[in-house]
Amino acid sequence: MTRKKRHHHAAGPRSPKAETLPPPSSQPPVSSQPPASMDRDASERLIHAEGADVPQFPVRRRPPRRPHVERDGTSQTPPERGRNSKDTGRPPAPPPGDVPADLPSDPNVAARIRELEERLDRMISTHARDRGDDDSSTAMAPVPTRPPPSASSLPPAPPEPDGVFDTARELLSTDFYLRKWGRLGLRSRSEEVDEFGYDPEYERKVLPFFEFLYAKYFRVEAQGAHQIPAEGRCLLVANHSGTVPFDGIMLRLAVRKEHTQHRGVRWLAEDGIFHFPFLGSFTNRVGAVRACQENAERLLDHGALVAVFPEGIKGIGKLFRERYKLQRFGRGGFVKLCLRTRTPVVPVAIVGGEETNPMLSRVEYLTRAVGIPYLPVTPTFPLLGPVGLLPAPTKWKIFFGQPLDLEGYGAEAADDEILVGRLTERVRSEIQGMLDRALRERRSVWFG
Amino acid sequence: MPRPPRTLAQAGPAVPSSLGAVGRRPLVVAVTGAAGFLGSNLIGSLEEDERIGRIVGIDSGTATTAGRKTRSYDVDLTQPAAEGRVAEILAAERVDVIAHLAFLPTPTHATAWAHELESVGTMHVCVAARHAQVRKVVMWSLTWLYGARPSNPNFLTEKHPLRGPTSEPYFADKLEAEEQARRLTQRSPGTVVTILRTAPILGPTVQNALTRYLSRKLVPTMMGYDPLVQFVHEVDAIAALHLAVLRDVPGTFNIVGDGVLPLSTVIKLAGRIAVPVPHPLAETLTAIGWVAQLVEAPPSFLRYLRFLCVADGQRAKDSLGFSPAYTSREALLDFVNAQRLRDVKLLTETAA
Repeated sequence: MTRKKRHHHAAGPRSPKAETLPPPSSQPPVSSQPPASMDRDASERLIHAEGADVPQFPVRRRPPRRPHVERDGTSQTPPERGRNSKDTGRPPAPPPGDVPADLPSDPNVAARIRELEERLDRMISTHARDRGDDDSSTAMAPVPTRPPPSASSLPPAPPEPDGVFDTARELLSTDFYLRKWGRLGLRSRSEEVDEFGYDPEYERKVLPFFEFLYAKYFRVEAQGAHQIPAEGRCLLVANHSGTVPFDGIMLRLAVRKEHTQHRGVRWLAEDGIFHFPFLGSFTNRVGAVRACQENAERLLDHGALVAVFPEGIKGIGKLFRERYKLQRFGRGGFVKLCLRTRTPVVPVAIVGGEETNPMLSRVEYLTRAVGIPYLPVTPTFPLLGPVGLLPAPTKWKIFFGQPLDLEGYGAEAADDEILVGRLTERVRSEIQGMLDRALRERRSVWFG
Repeated sequence: MPRPPRTLAQAGPAVPSSLGAVGRRPLVVAVTGAAGFLGSNLIGSLEEDERIGRIVGIDSGTATTAGRKTRSYDVDLTQPAAEGRVAEILAAERVDVIAHLAFLPTPTHATAWAHELESVGTMHVCVAARHAQVRKVVMWSLTWLYGARPSNPNFLTEKHPLRGPTSEPYFADKLEAEEQARRLTQRSPGTVVTILRTAPILGPTVQNALTRYLSRKLVPTMMGYDPLVQFVHEVDAIAALHLAVLRDVPGTFNIVGDGVLPLSTVIKLAGRIAVPVPHPLAETLTAIGWVAQLVEAPPSFLRYLRFLCVADGQRAKDSLGFSPAYTSREALLDFVNAQRLRDVKLLTETAA
């Protein structure tokens, strides 16, 4: 900065570039062409290197071996290159070592050296094959030139006094452990999440648990997954179920398993859960998105498969005696959304989810003060503490209905409240019909 | 992805229309807060642009980047007579565009002074701009003003109401400043008022509350919360201001980098240790720390560590023609690069 100040006080015209020079080792914030491109390259390099938090031991770089110039001036590079490609980077069997600069003038000696080198090449390659070596990180490293202890007759290579100490210093520094810590913290997390916070790596980590719930615990059966289009935007509309809603994640698994294209469902979750610690960030990472028009529209614009539970919080808060009686479908927001974005609607009925935590009563007294809408009372919940919230192992069935095409109405139909209301009711009665049919056919809550 | 100079070069076709209003002479741009980070870098950027005839720096200090084109005036916007002085300067220099950047990037304990500078200072600038019939006012603002709330959509558009914590002077003053700018649009419809709401700025040289937060060895986070965050690179922020100076596009624009990152990933990419603190405890500790001047921000900033406040930059791409050269992640990595050098004292702090 003082340097720049001096520039400023100096009289006379200066090149504008000089004014905007940043501190030497940092990138310029002002946008002039060459530095900006350097910036860009630098950051790209950094991304590709991804060395951001990899603990890096000092890589020992030895000077590449000098090509052996023969008497007649031809160099021995071809065997040299051949060796490098085969080389494993491990300290090989006793090499002839660095050939001293004063090469023996005798052609016999030169031939002998060549022969020795060829033997060495063979030894290295067999050695590499035996070890099944795949150490690619050091494969490109030049052949070590340090002479083995036995080759005492040869002049010693330049010593490397700090090799071990570098490692020791690295291990003793707090920075190493800080980076290690960072790596550990990110071990189950993706490098990048999508714009709604879905983390594939994290989902992969928790998937066994969900798979267990899906296959063993709830024994989910899905029917009619072929109704979902193979690509393009689509809205799944389902009944919301259970005091602790597992329906979003089960629906996601069902579509991934049963659909021919294994599409990933993004489901919209009530914003209530985003108030809570752990719950909000967890559901967000495994694919839920906060339910609001803006988010749904953005997802559908990207051609996503979106699931909504238009009953919302009322659906989760259904008492046991109200089970499978669909509540009001919001204000028809999902129909407006589909009309505006020309999205087909697939009605979905989820049977079994509404018996997992049979809610006997809702306590709303003083719960708002804590930030929750009500306290559910199930046969087990406040009685057994948090364990009481474990879902009962009911048999689940998921039915996908005929897609409802709203294309014919046009985008302006979204402003027609009467039509929106009628279409909402149509979807609702369709799902209610599917639910009723499934309930009639069901013989047992536990075995389906 | 186009780089900032290219986007500036693309601004070419827009210039004749903006110059048409004032004839053929090159633009005269006044920059308030010229000695600040944004001000000095914008001046540096404008100095290199041949479409800019003269730059008028208005601040109590001098921009370190001031060159041949720049004339600096020593004006303290917190003084009661500042509006008259600024109006005189604007009229005398025949200023076409004011870039109003006299805002504090970091919260301060001197809240009364900050109020005079940001809220009242913006009023002074708007009054002076109206008086001197300046054609355009470009103002810097923050996407943080939308407020971090669990009920926010994942991407806030410019239509979204500003629901930042008004109890916090840092946000209240900036909200008032935006209100002043809006009032200017109503009072003098001929004036183009462009407000650029930037995401938190990161980069190798910028310093603000966020860079201080990420410079700690132990970074406090709110236990159980991991909001998505976004950044904009300093180069992009300055390029956007430069674009807004050249182009006549009234309205408000979110200036953000592409992509979002979870806060936990941000801290780990920065090579720091996250220390999860239960949020009620954190609020108390931060309140004490703020009074004791041990932390960089008052407790109302903790909401941004819990809830979403991510803006949608589509409008700036469509109308302003601004496309960020750095994604949020690249901006962060660029900052981390420089921060590493600072950590080992290879790079000394600059007062930019």
